Amino acid sequence: MIAVLIRRAASALAVLLGAATLAFAALELIPGDKVAALLGPATSASEQVKAQIRAEYGFDRPIVVQYLHYLGRLVRGDLGDSYQLSRPVAGLLAEQLWPTAQLALAAIALAVALAVLSAVVTAGRRAGRAVATAWELAAVSLPSFWLGILLLTVFSFQLGMFPVVGGEGISALVLPAVTLALPIAGMLAQVLREGLEAALAQPFAVTARARGLSHTAVRVRHTLRHATVPLATLTGWLTGSLLGGAVLVETVFGRPGVGALTLQAVSNKDMPVVIGVVLLSAVVFVVISAVVDALYAVVDPRLKAG
Amino acid sequence: MKGGSLTYAADTEPVSFDIHVSPQDITGAIQRNVFDSLISQDTAGEFHPWLASSWEIAKDLKSYTFTLREDVKFTDGTAFDAEAVKVNFDRIADPKTKSQLAASLLGPYAGSDVLGTHKIKVRFKEPFAPFLQAASTAYLGFYSPKAIKASGAVFGAGGPAQVGTGPFVVESYSKGQSLVLKRNPAYVWPPKTSANAGPAHLDKLTIRFLPEASVRVGALNSGQIDLAAAVQPTDIKAVEANPALKLLRSDHPGGNYSLYLNVSKAPFSDEKVRKAVQHALNVDLNVKSLYFGQYKRAWSPLSPSTPGYDASLENSVPHDPVKAGKLLDEAGWTARDSEGYRTKDGKRLVVEWPLLPAQYVRDQRNILGQAFQAELKKVGIQANRPQNDIGTYTAQVYGGKADIADYSWGRFEPDVLWLLFNSANHATKGGQNATFAKDADIDSWTNAGRKTLDREVRAELYGKVQKRVIDLALAIPIYTGTNALGYGKHVEGLVTDANTWPSFHNVWTTKR
Repeated sequence: MIAVLIRRAASALAVLLGAATLAFAALELIPGDKVAALLGPATSASEQVKAQIRAEYGFDRPIVVQYLHYLGRLVRGDLGDSYQLSRPVAGLLAEQLWPTAQLALAAIALAVALAVLSAVVTAGRRAGRAVATAWELAAVSLPSFWLGILLLTVFSFQLGMFPVVGGEGISALVLPAVTLALPIAGMLAQVLREGLEAALAQPFAVTARARGLSHTAVRVRHTLRHATVPLATLTGWLTGSLLGGAVLVETVFGRPGVGALTLQAVSNKDMPVVIGVVLLSAVVFVVISAVVDALYAVVDPRLKAG
Repeated sequence: MKGGSLTYAADTEPVSFDIHVSPQDITGAIQRNVFDSLISQDTAGEFHPWLASSWEIAKDLKSYTFTLREDVKFTDGTAFDAEAVKVNFDRIADPKTKSQLAASLLGPYAGSDVLGTHKIKVRFKEPFAPFLQAASTAYLGFYSPKAIKASGAVFGAGGPAQVGTGPFVVESYSKGQSLVLKRNPAYVWPPKTSANAGPAHLDKLTIRFLPEASVRVGALNSGQIDLAAAVQPTDIKAVEANPALKLLRSDHPGGNYSLYLNVSKAPFSDEKVRKAVQHALNVDLNVKSLYFGQYKRAWSPLSPSTPGYDASLENSVPHDPVKAGKLLDEAGWTARDSEGYRTKDGKRLVVEWPLLPAQYVRDQRNILGQAFQAELKKVGIQANRPQNDIGTYTAQVYGGKADIADYSWGRFEPDVLWLLFNSANHATKGGQNATFAKDADIDSWTNAGRKTLDREVRAELYGKVQKRVIDLALAIPIYTGTNALGYGKHVEGLVTDANTWPSFHNVWTTKR
């Protein structure tokens, strides 16, 4: 057990170091002057100010020195200060992660519920299947930007149910969560139905029916468990990418979050923030893959680590 | 009139809230409600007392002496005095502040001398006439010296650490969401021209950041917000059709959105080729159809709402593709290649016109550019529009490697012509002149404009500059941007200042 934990920790560290190095390299490789990118197109900054920025952020030092200095700070747990926002990156991330996490978790929960409902009810049933596949395909192909504006127009501007302004907490979460959840639900339902149908064709399903179990009982108690493994993998991956921020949905609904922060940081070459976001995503994926692995063991006893 | 609260939806959110650092319009527009200036400028260009009750200007325009009001206090209780002015101006000029706009507004600043508790002399290394206008902007507003000492380094992050003398106080800021301002009850020192001599009427003003234009208009139409900034040309009709709403339109001052032709290299080193472009573009038609007739077509590099605008340039350059062709023939670009582009000595007539990265593109200028590209092709000019990151863009355009650059430059002052066309301000030196022109007359006229306060003399000088820019086809003016502000009929007393920013000091609501 301890050996497993140590192995996990070591691979997590390797992933983090890799992510940190790649992020640093990618930002270095983007062409163009860093100071010019920092200042943006509409600036009247003098050469003196530019030199000050170069010296203050150490851009004038050799690249290897910058890299080592950067790793050294990371090891001490210091993510540095944002160039643009004059605030520590760690605080910024902590503040922006909460709204993103609320949105991502609400969207994933809703998507999984919709997908399970749609797949369990229609798997292996010709008529229901056709209807369900149609809505799922439509949902997957909807652009989230368009869907968000459509939902806002109907439920906020026309019906006044979910105000885009002033409403904080649950009511402000509904429309953006639905916008994000619908395409994901479509995708998850398709994967789940395929698994269910494969399981329903197996001898154990026939045996269960022969023992007198109802159609519904066979689906919910037996085949669903079989079809859950690919669903868990996909859901884990989707949760991870949603925690990295949902830029379009955040923009449409005017919500704070990691997505908006990342967009701003990348376009302004705000390196400490970009690197902070990359490391955050790496941590999220490491944690989620551990959770998914643990889930496998619960769902499928054969996968339990010996 | 007193009481109530309003919600104003802004289209962008400040990156830095520090007025001494940020070059963004939105920072100035929002912070104008929290910070006051020495003097104010009305929309006709006249200056009026504000925190300074009077001022004297040295004959050589190298120093300005201000007498300050004695009853002004920052909202943290600190008195506003000559020392506070000095601390703020010195902070702006200090390279450590990394000012991106305010420092350039201070120009050749040499220092400030405290002559008494309420008397201060601001000195410059050279004669500097634009200082009065600069001193009236929010970017040269005043932070409490106590706040600067305690938290000057984190002003950029926004929030209640920002302490000024203005009609509103920052209550809270939630990044990506909203900024909440509340009334400063002690405020009795607005500019002499203000319709309200006392504190603001509103208890609370919430500024909600909604970047998506259709969402702002939807929220305004459904009454979720009271005011919406930047109503797009496509949405103006819908707002006008709603009986519960009003629209306030104001033209942007300063440099119009124009195409700047780089005269330092071929092919635009040839005046005939520049003039050909001037006649080839159907500016009227494209501006009208893309912006639904809401933006004015521009004729001068200077916007009509800016002092010194020369109206005689209107309708001076007709759209005439035949003449454009003739000019190109005269310039020696007579042969055509298989794709229909003109050639000279076997070389195709190609111009590089870099496109800004998507996040900086405003007002669908990329679409406008496509229409112009097609019109240039008709007369045989190939215009390339490479789109790269901002670093590469800056290196090309400001490094003088591109042939065309396009931008507008907002400022309520004809000295913007110095920024855009004086050879001392070439983009390679960190300036805004991407034409790289070196015209001795333009240089001397724009320099002279900085050394006089005589309005007639300035109007004549800047009129000559505008005419010369069009004569030499250094820039091709395209349109004057309009700031359209939509708001509910229950909002009263709303005016915009010379910068087209809404001023909330005198605003009240009839809705309870």
